[in-house]
Amino acid sequence: MRLELGEIHISDIKLGDCSKVENGTLYVNVEELRALLLEDEDLASVDFEVVHPGESVRVLPVKDVIEPRVKVEGNGGVFPGVISKVGTVGSGKTHVLKGCAVVTTGKVVGFQEGIIDMSGPGADYTPFSKLHNLVMICEPKEGIKQHQHEHAIRMAGLKAATYLGELARTLTPDETKVYETSGVMSGKEKYPDLPRVGYVLMLQSQGLLHDTYVYGVDMKRSMPTILNPTETMDGAILSGNCVSACDKNTTYHHLNNPVIADLLEQHGKTLNFVGVIITNENVYLMDKERSSDWSTKLAQFLELDGALVSQEGFGNPDTDLIMNCKKLEAAGIKTVIITDEYAGRDGASQSLADADPAADAVVTGGNANMVIHLPKMDKVIGHPEAANIIAGGFDGALEPDGSITAELQVITGATNEMGFNKLSAR
Amino acid sequence: MLLVTNNEKVRDQYGSLCTLQFVDGGHVDVLTHVRDLVHSGHKLLTHPLAGSVKPNETPFRSVALTEEAGPLDLESLDLIEAALGVCRQFKPRFHRGDDAPADMREDFAEIDFRLIHGAIAPHLQKGE
Repeated sequence: MRLELGEIHISDIKLGDCSKVENGTLYVNVEELRALLLEDEDLASVDFEVVHPGESVRVLPVKDVIEPRVKVEGNGGVFPGVISKVGTVGSGKTHVLKGCAVVTTGKVVGFQEGIIDMSGPGADYTPFSKLHNLVMICEPKEGIKQHQHEHAIRMAGLKAATYLGELARTLTPDETKVYETSGVMSGKEKYPDLPRVGYVLMLQSQGLLHDTYVYGVDMKRSMPTILNPTETMDGAILSGNCVSACDKNTTYHHLNNPVIADLLEQHGKTLNFVGVIITNENVYLMDKERSSDWSTKLAQFLELDGALVSQEGFGNPDTDLIMNCKKLEAAGIKTVIITDEYAGRDGASQSLADADPAADAVVTGGNANMVIHLPKMDKVIGHPEAANIIAGGFDGALEPDGSITAELQVITGATNEMGFNKLSAR
Repeated sequence: MLLVTNNEKVRDQYGSLCTLQFVDGGHVDVLTHVRDLVHSGHKLLTHPLAGSVKPNETPFRSVALTEEAGPLDLESLDLIEAALGVCRQFKPRFHRGDDAPADMREDFAEIDFRLIHGAIAPHLQKGE
């Protein structure tokens, strides 16, 4: 498959009465967008705020972050199976509004989490502080249940990103990146001497607020399967995961998966990137056994020499991670796992809830229990009281002066297990 | 199937559908009871750390085990001991949720219910 990603660089967002992109500024007609989003009968209101890098602004609790994209040439459309028809994506040409994102916020349940600080020490821990963000505050109608509320916010984010992405359809990209992948046989013929490497991408799939969708399919109901790496760049994988802010994969992460980007960069040079095996993280133990058996079986079908495995979340998924690692290693496939750590506030405790000697090559995204102090921001968008009751916050987390003392896990994307951030350890 | 829970919502829904043992206590009490069942030969069917709601934050926990007891299952023992280890590492914030705000208590109960429901409903339909 060959995919051209045409990037249109966005350096500002302005709310106005006409939606367009001009000279690097994204103008958004909020009334038109609001009317579109309020077609969802579960939503009572949608409000918009624009936040820029360096501003004294805190957004919480963040649900998802989505990069606007549009399919310009080739099969299918962005977010297939959910927004567009279910056709296979990943080839042709896609335009991206680079440097901006849609951020959804809303209090689905009482203990919701996810902070993005646009300046100060907190900003250093989240990649989304570097973007111009259109923040959407979505409030549900009275009587809406938690799962309906989550669905409404998720769909609002995707619809808004699609609406904005459409503005890029006829633009000339500032920069174009070309990604080309090989078939299983052609890759072997082309690069006979390079090690065959695959990526096992674990997707959160445990239930309400813990779900991921692939071509519209709830991943907990799917067996592990194979994706062409470029499919992820057109939104084949969407996040419905609202817990564990620091190490959940937002839709933005799936669209910009750094493991895929780096493996494609090395494809044909130091390795032969054969494909992506997606697998789930279910609650039922038999599912875990079956899925890790299958991800290993698919890796063997692809005759991989090596595999990278990335996790999503903490606790229960540690078992899936270790099962995947043990079985891949036992099949003779050299395996590196990417995870993060819950090693206690002093970093001295056991990092994962499961372990095995086969997991001898580990990349960490950092310690989610590290305590940080986030100074008061001039403006708070969302529900500031959530700071007291979000994961990693504790009683008294929200100080009277508006500052927050909490564990790093409150910050969206801080210890991302795809490695989409700066923290690690040696 | 044997279901152990301290969540009234799970008890109300599943009490008549499978064998259910209700624990009148906190999250750690549920896991301790599950550990005792594992010691007496029951095998875990669901992971004792379901969900990414951190174990020290959710006051509710529901775990499914085999109804029949057999020889000690070492994998189940490893999992439940590791889960209790995580709980020892992170001091629980709420005991039974009585000390949490009412709407939050309801949210924690709903999440725990949804997670265990998603995991066991397909198996109960098959009559396991």
